[in-house]
Amino acid sequence: MSQLSFQAVRKTFGPTVALEALDLDVGEGQLVSLLGPSGCGKTTALRIAAGFEFATSGKVVVASKDISNVPAHKRNMGMVFQSYSLFPNLTVAQNVDFGLRTRKQDKARRTKTVADMLDLVGLTAQTSRYPHQLSGGQQQRVALARALAVNPQVLLLDEPLSALDAKVRTNLRDQIRRIQTELGITTMFVTHDQEEALAISDKVAVMSNGRVEQYATPLEIYRTPSTAFVARFVGSMNQLPGMVRLDGGVDVAGTTLPTPTELPAGQGVVVLVRPEAVSVAEESSAGFRGTVASLTFQGADTVVGVRLDVLDALVLARSESTKVGQLSIGDRVGVQVDTSHAVVEAAATEPAA
Amino acid sequence: MDAVIDPAPTRRPSTWRSRIGPTLVLIVCGLFFVLPMITMARYSLQNIITPLLRWEDVFKKWSLSGIKAAVSDPGFWPALKLSLELAVATVALTLLLLLPTLLLVHIKVPKARPLIEFTTLLPFMIPPIALVAGVAAFFRPNAKWFLNSNFSLVPFYAILALPFTFRAIDAGIRAIDVRTLIDASRSLGAGWGRTLFRVLMPNLKMAIVSSSFLTFTVVMGEFTIAQTLLKRTYPQFMYEFYSNRGQGATALALFTFLATTAVLGLMFFFVRRRDRRAGTTTTVF
Repeated sequence: MSQLSFQAVRKTFGPTVALEALDLDVGEGQLVSLLGPSGCGKTTALRIAAGFEFATSGKVVVASKDISNVPAHKRNMGMVFQSYSLFPNLTVAQNVDFGLRTRKQDKARRTKTVADMLDLVGLTAQTSRYPHQLSGGQQQRVALARALAVNPQVLLLDEPLSALDAKVRTNLRDQIRRIQTELGITTMFVTHDQEEALAISDKVAVMSNGRVEQYATPLEIYRTPSTAFVARFVGSMNQLPGMVRLDGGVDVAGTTLPTPTELPAGQGVVVLVRPEAVSVAEESSAGFRGTVASLTFQGADTVVGVRLDVLDALVLARSESTKVGQLSIGDRVGVQVDTSHAVVEAAATEPAA
Repeated sequence: MDAVIDPAPTRRPSTWRSRIGPTLVLIVCGLFFVLPMITMARYSLQNIITPLLRWEDVFKKWSLSGIKAAVSDPGFWPALKLSLELAVATVALTLLLLLPTLLLVHIKVPKARPLIEFTTLLPFMIPPIALVAGVAAFFRPNAKWFLNSNFSLVPFYAILALPFTFRAIDAGIRAIDVRTLIDASRSLGAGWGRTLFRVLMPNLKMAIVSSSFLTFTVVMGEFTIAQTLLKRTYPQFMYEFYSNRGQGATALALFTFLATTAVLGLMFFFVRRRDRRAGTTTTVF
């Protein structure tokens, strides 16, 4: 059963359409990420869930109750913001206590909840500090504790990690996921960082221009992107221009790639392939030929850039470092493409040849 | 991490020669402010006829009789009381109008801010005498009862103080992330009232205090409007008293100055100290 669901939620700001009929179900206890570039509507969707904005049309349902017209302070949501949102005049403990006081809980119970929450985020030593005495990561952890203290029906996270530096970011990301799983709290996480979204989500909704392009598990999003936008936005992609053949495959500069496509024969297309689906082989092998143009060592993997003889295109191949360790720039190699998860999109213009 | 650059190698050795310029400026400025005060004090508080005041008598015949006379004048306390009441009322009116307006402008219509900023400057461009002439011409025939009340001064004082109060509160609002604080407070279940009193006001405390104090000083010093509308305010009393007893009035002016300075200092001291504990960044106008 879904805990939070958007039903045909549309939001316009004057002539601008921020959300076009959003339908999205977040299952109970799941962490769902809204992923997309800025201006795609992901933050608007989150703010509508929080009650800071109201949908132009459509419904927001939480635990089978329509809350579309309930004001923000009467919804039971916990929210963590992108910018530091702790009340500067209150201590860490008082910040966490704020929502509990608002709910007029008795003192003993509040004290216990505050202690439990600060323990959960590992900040028991900082209870009487003021926000300005904490690091950015600590502030966001207090904000998380504060949001969780009120025992919300849904936890809303609005790019909570984007102001932090890389290392703190990864730590806090994993901590958020651990706490979320531990408490089994339904969570909606907004981010523009695909790595972040893929790392901690049960499901990811990739958004662009106010629409959900694909809503699936991180693995599906990565392996079988349903649209070219998703393919390009998540991870990196090689782009090979070609044309659809009569037998259904795609001809890329004389080499046939067995890629199923519903586009008509003769249509100019671009085939999108992940670097790990491209491999470097002996020059004599079947497939493309080219010259090694770059080698990027990334620890376990090395990304080999090969300038193809045909098309004058640079293709990236991700391989285990041990397999391509002996290559050097300028070497002649063959390139093989595994198209089982390739995405074919219609080219914007007809290819010249 | 702040990079710490050692300034020592580039700094010239500080000799008395390099310090003489700044010291001289400080001395001149100090004299400029202190000499008139000393002169005022001697004139009003030494029991010596003014033409006979000499440096040899600096420590002789000091007395508080001048100030005593001023304080014991039957007009003194009512005038002071009226001015204090007007100041409190003006502060209340200003905060009541300005705080919600500026918060609303900041959150909902940020584009209107320059217009409001310009409007608040109008009291600088329109001389008080022009304002009061217009006010009198309009209200005398239309609403005489309004001008008859002493508190008819309050709205005009609120306008006169606008250039100061607007800036103090505006700076305070801009120093905090109002939008996020409001959203955070509301998502935690707080309604607008609780958000205003528990979240926004505490974090705008310094702005509110400085704006109130500026209003206070404007009211305590305003003369033109009160005189024209025939209200017996504190400055008006000082003016009248001066024409009878110059020494007593000067003593009064001196004490008023010292008292306001002391109150200002104390107020900032207390707010600052509590603020430093909470670490809120505040802007003093």
